[in-house]
Amino acid sequence: MVNDLKIAGTRKSLGKSLLYTLPMFLITFLFITGGRPNFSDPSSAIAVLTAFLLVNVLYFLMHFTGKTDRYRAVLFIIFALSLSYTLIHNMLEVRNSMSFSQADILECKIPFCHLVIPMMILPAVFTKSIIFPGSILNGFANISTMIVLWLVATLVLGRGFCSWGCFYGGWDDGFSRFGKKPLIKRIDGLWKWMPFAVLMMVMLTAALSMMPTYCSWICPFKAVTEFEQVTSVESATKAGIFLSLFGGLVIALPIMTKKRTQCSFLCPLGAINTLSNKITPFMIKIDKNACNECFKCVETCPLYALTRDDIKEGKVSMFCSKCGKCVDACSKNAIHYGIKGVPAGTLKNFSRNLFLFVSFLFMAIFSAGSIIASFQGLLKLIF
Amino acid sequence: MKKIKIIAGISWAFFGLILIIILFPGLNSYSVSVSKLPFMKLNPRYSGGEIAKRIVTDRCTLDIRKPVFNGFIKERNNGFVQLDWRGNISELINDSIDYDQDGIKDFNISVDRKNSKTVLNPINSKVKDVIISTRTSYGWAVRVGIKKQL
Ligand code: SF4
Repeated sequence: MVNDLKIAGTRKSLGKSLLYTLPMFLITFLFITGGRPNFSDPSSAIAVLTAFLLVNVLYFLMHFTGKTDRYRAVLFIIFALSLSYTLIHNMLEVRNSMSFSQADILECKIPFCHLVIPMMILPAVFTKSIIFPGSILNGFANISTMIVLWLVATLVLGRGFCSWGCFYGGWDDGFSRFGKKPLIKRIDGLWKWMPFAVLMMVMLTAALSMMPTYCSWICPFKAVTEFEQVTSVESATKAGIFLSLFGGLVIALPIMTKKRTQCSFLCPLGAINTLSNKITPFMIKIDKNACNECFKCVETCPLYALTRDDIKEGKVSMFCSKCGKCVDACSKNAIHYGIKGVPAGTLKNFSRNLFLFVSFLFMAIFSAGSIIASFQGLLKLIF
Repeated sequence: MKKIKIIAGISWAFFGLILIIILFPGLNSYSVSVSKLPFMKLNPRYSGGEIAKRIVTDRCTLDIRKPVFNGFIKERNNGFVQLDWRGNISELINDSIDYDQDGIKDFNISVDRKNSKTVLNPINSKVKDVIISTRTSYGWAVRVGIKKQL
C-alpha cells in the first residue's frame, strides 16, 4: 500500500513516459548513430542500434516505473564492463598483452583517465606541465578531452559523477548488489573521510616524485585495464597491489557490505567530486513532513552518505552521489531529487525529471562508444 | 529572498542542462582550447625533453634531446638524456654522444637491436647508466642517466 503510494508519486503513464523519453531519444539518436545510421556494416549497425535502444529503454523505464537507481545501475555497470572489455581487447589486439611497454610510456601513448586529475594539480601550478605519459590532444582518451568531460560533469553533477559518469564505478556498484543481506553490517562511517587522506597523499607524493603515484602504485582498476609489464620486483609488487586492492575493495568488501567500498574509502577523485557537490545545482533532499524516520535510506545508501542524524536534521551529506538508491527505497517519497534553493518537498517531479535528463544524457553519450565497441566485439565472437 | 533563491537554483539547474547538451557537439573545440592553456604541455620527464641536436646521415636520424633534470620546485641532481634513432637504422647502433654540446664526447653507446642489448661506455663521469633502451614505433630510443653535478 505504502509502496503504491510512493510509486504513484514518480511513475508516469505510458504516454507521458514516452513523451518524456522523446527528447532523450532524439538527442541520443543524433549522437549515438551520428544522425545517419550506417547499415553497410551489419555488425556495427546492430551494435549501434542495440546501444541506442538500450539507453532509451532504460530511460523510459525510469519514468514509467518511477525507479531510478535500478535502471541507472544497469547502464552504469554495462559501461564499466564494456570499457574494460574495449581497453583489454585493444591491448591484446595491438600488443598481445594487457600490459603497456616502456615504449608506450616513452612515446606518451598511455590513455588518460580522470583519476589522474588530482595528481596533476600541483605540478601544473608549480611546473606548468603535466606529469603523465599521454597525449595532450590527439588520440583515444587524450588529456584535454578527458579534463573537459570531467570538469563539466563535476560542475553540473558534483559527486553525481561517481554514479553517472565514472567508467570504473560500475565495478563495485555491481558487486555491491550480490547477495540479499550484508555479511558485514557495521563499518564506521568515519572511513568515508579516507579518500581525502588518499587525495592529500597522492597529490603530495605525485608532486614530489613527479609521477602519478596513484596510477603507478595504487589504482585497483589497473587490474581490469592495463598495467606496466612485470619485468622487475618493483613492477611485480605494483601488480600485486593492484590485484589485491581490486579483489578486496572492488569485489570482496562490496559483496560483504553491500556498499561501494572502493568509491567510499579510496578514490581520490571522489574526494574532489564530494567538494564540488557544494556547488552543483542538483541534490537529494529530505521532506521532513513526509518522513516517518524508518531509516531504510540510511541502510541502503551505498556510499555512507546518510546517517540517522542527517535524516533527523533533514539534510543529506556532501558524500551523496545522487544514485537514487535511497529515493527508490523510500516508501513515503520523503527523500527525493531536488534543486538548490528550492525547499524540500516542493517541485519533486520537476527536479527529478530535470536531473534525470541531465545526468542520464551525460552517461548515455559518454558510455555509448565503449558499449558499441564491446557489442561489436561480442557479435564477432558469436558469429 | 526565498523566491530569489528558488529562481537562482532553477536557473543554475537549467544552465547545467545547457552545459551538458552543448558539451558533446563542442567537445573537440573545447579540448583544443584547453590544450592551449599554459600548463597543458607534457613535462620533459615524460616527453623526453626538447631536441637539442639532430644528426642526419643518409640512412637515419639521431635526435639528442636536452638533458632533463626537472623536479617539482627545483632541478634535481639526477636526470637523463634521451636519444632517438629514426629511419633505416642498422641492427647494430654504435654512436659517440656529446650530450651537453661542449664539443667533447661524453659517452659511447652501442645497441644490438636484435638481442635488445645495450652497452654504455661513459667518458664523462657525470654519465651513469642506461635507464631505458627500447624499440619504438619510429625506431629505437635510449634514456641514459646523468648527474647534474658530481
Ligand atoms: S544518499 Fe541516496 S542518492 Fe545519495 S549516495 Fe546515498 S543512496 Fe545514493
